Amino acid sequence: MMGDWQVYWLFLQQGIASGLVTGSIYALLAIAIVIIFKTTDAPNFAAGEIFMAGAYIALYLLIFSQIAYVIAVPVTLAITFVFSALFYRIVLRRIGVSPAVAVNVVIATLGLSFVLKGIVRNTGFGDVPRSFPAVFGADTVQIGDAVLTTQDVAVFALALLAMAIFFVFFNYTRTGRAMRAVGMNPRAAALVGIDLHKTRMLIWGLSGLLSALAAILIAPKILMTADMGIVVILGFAAAIVGGFTSLPGAVVGGLIIGIVENLVGLFVSTRAIVVAPFIVIMLVLAIRPQGLFGGPVVIKKV
Amino acid sequence: MLSIRNISASYGRVAALSRVSLDAPAGAIIALLGANGAGKTTTLNCVSRLVNITEGEILFEGRRIDRLSSDEVVRLGIAQVPEGREIFARMSVRENLEIGAHVRRDRHGIAADLERVCGYFPVLRQRFAQDAGTLSGGEQQMLLIARALMARPRLLLLDEPSLGLSPLLVEQIFAIIRQLNQEGLTILVVEQNARLALAVSSYAYILENGEIAFEGPSAELAQNDRVRQAYLGG
Repeated sequence: MMGDWQVYWLFLQQGIASGLVTGSIYALLAIAIVIIFKTTDAPNFAAGEIFMAGAYIALYLLIFSQIAYVIAVPVTLAITFVFSALFYRIVLRRIGVSPAVAVNVVIATLGLSFVLKGIVRNTGFGDVPRSFPAVFGADTVQIGDAVLTTQDVAVFALALLAMAIFFVFFNYTRTGRAMRAVGMNPRAAALVGIDLHKTRMLIWGLSGLLSALAAILIAPKILMTADMGIVVILGFAAAIVGGFTSLPGAVVGGLIIGIVENLVGLFVSTRAIVVAPFIVIMLVLAIRPQGLFGGPVVIKKV
Repeated sequence: MLSIRNISASYGRVAALSRVSLDAPAGAIIALLGANGAGKTTTLNCVSRLVNITEGEILFEGRRIDRLSSDEVVRLGIAQVPEGREIFARMSVRENLEIGAHVRRDRHGIAADLERVCGYFPVLRQRFAQDAGTLSGGEQQMLLIARALMARPRLLLLDEPSLGLSPLLVEQIFAIIRQLNQEGLTILVVEQNARLALAVSSYAYILENGEIAFEGPSAELAQNDRVRQAYLGG
């Protein structure tokens, strides 16, 4: 017979292992949210619906068009990249992106979220909850005392790989450097000859791509409906915990949210899972108002 | 080289420039003087395309540039050294310099220019790996000039290079401005320190309330009674 402490030890290991898997998805979503916030000065409230649309595009290609996984996934990523970039190019660029008109950007992204939801609801895709085919089997892998499916391990590995590629791109390429420059000081970026609109357009595309990737990775674990974009709330939670403008913060925030959710589910109650992320946000903000990785609060001089 | 013809600009309903004309011939150092708020920085920002003009035209080597985007202007060979420490604070000094060459693709030329600008400002090499935000005010000013040079400009727009610096540093920076000019760079410098600017330039313009109030060879302006009274402290 197992003692209490043995059960707790098992729960702890299982909670962390499962938490890292879902947390890596939240981390991807948080990166997608943060890169837009840093360069556009407004949160993208359509992030959830872009995520949802990505999952449905992949589902359409896989199930209805019977296209192989290796083709369907890159095509989905390309479609969301182009779609998000065009949304910036056609809608946001016309509004004009500057802090003074941030509210217009927010309204535009809210509009986009309703449009995408409406499309999925009214084309028959969203009529019934659907399930997304998994590539990897449900065989289990034991890590310590924790048990994960091969699917879980693959999701975690792919999410980490995507983040690693993103960080190399963002930190060590000319385009990545231009993106960081626009986030840090758009005026100086314009003066060294960086095309602000083109850079922001690419950021939106990249953000859409990361959201769609997160959607494809997590879709087999959740039920697909037109409202599945609600998952992205946890990406926002991860971003807030990390400081909202820090990319390392976004990753750590995502993993923390994932782990806390799972630990709360095991130790407290599965009903408490939904409130766990918000308790984490409140705790972090109470102790460090700027988030875990946010810099000191700076008030811009005009 | 640069020819500004009757340009006007405004911020909302507030007029900032009205019918300003200015010429910067190739190889010259031209000074643009005036009090705070006279429109000096606005003039530079019209050339750099951060501010739109409402009338007139701006020509660079005979070509109109007042409808181009800011990055196209840099590509043509006009770089601005802005005032107000517009650095990339959380990038290293090295990255700040490399990003100055963003519009260029010639790897070897960029590497050579990195050496060249560090020759003008040896202190930057010592700070290569440091975040630019940790530099002192004087070092940041040097970084800004070096960053602009990394674009290989033919026309350099300098905004208040002496602002907030010690007299010794100001002297150093103006010596380098002279040297750059002797090496063939055309320079348009905006200054509040009229004495300094008139000493280094060959021709000068004085802005008052968004209009050119005086212009002439710098040596003559330095002798003009009204200019002396208003800008050189009598």
